[in-house]
Amino acid sequence: MVVNAVVDQVLLYVGMALVTVGAVYDLIAGVGMIRFPNFFVRLHAATIGAVGGAALPLVGVALIALASDQLGPYRFGVCAVCLLTAAAILITAPTGSHILAYAAYKTHASPRKPCVHDALRKFLEEGEGG
Amino acid sequence: MNTAHVLSWFVPAVTSIFLAAFTLYIVRVVRGPTLPDIVLAIDCLSYDLAVFVALMSLYYGTPFLVIGALLLSLWAFIFDVFVSKYLVRRDLGGG
Repeated sequence: MVVNAVVDQVLLYVGMALVTVGAVYDLIAGVGMIRFPNFFVRLHAATIGAVGGAALPLVGVALIALASDQLGPYRFGVCAVCLLTAAAILITAPTGSHILAYAAYKTHASPRKPCVHDALRKFLEEGEGG
Repeated sequence: MNTAHVLSWFVPAVTSIFLAAFTLYIVRVVRGPTLPDIVLAIDCLSYDLAVFVALMSLYYGTPFLVIGALLLSLWAFIFDVFVSKYLVRRDLGGG
């Protein structure tokens, strides 16, 4: 019984720490989403918001749900669904933003105005030439 | 141990930070100059809404709310794929 209580306490506090760190990540991503000048730079902020601001807090929520006494026998189900959602976000968020970046680059849908270095254009020109 | 007592102040505190981030994303959705900007901001909004729903499930102690989180995260990916396909091909046909 004492061991169970200690494990519950540790799960609760680790989960709370993960959720708090994830919330701070999410706020940073939101500020970056506003301040960055360009679609291709905003992709960086969006991926921080997806991986650090959504997948990390979902792992924390899964740990808190394991320690929760309010959910009763359903706490394992909540934990499983939260971990599954975190895995789905880790797989789909980079893929989706990569697809979107490729489409936006190919079709000139968004301006590449403050451009420091464009490595893909040189690559595409070489590929078409050779 | 009473986790409901800890969660009763922890979840509102964290949710307020998430709501501040929601506001910043919504500003980008409204102001976004081009279509990919809007789609990117809506992606982030749906991922964060998944976290929000999971936190609400903890706060109210009901397991049925958390099912929506999985669907929200998959919906964002489908949205990405369809918008990119529309941008490249200019139609949503089966080809």
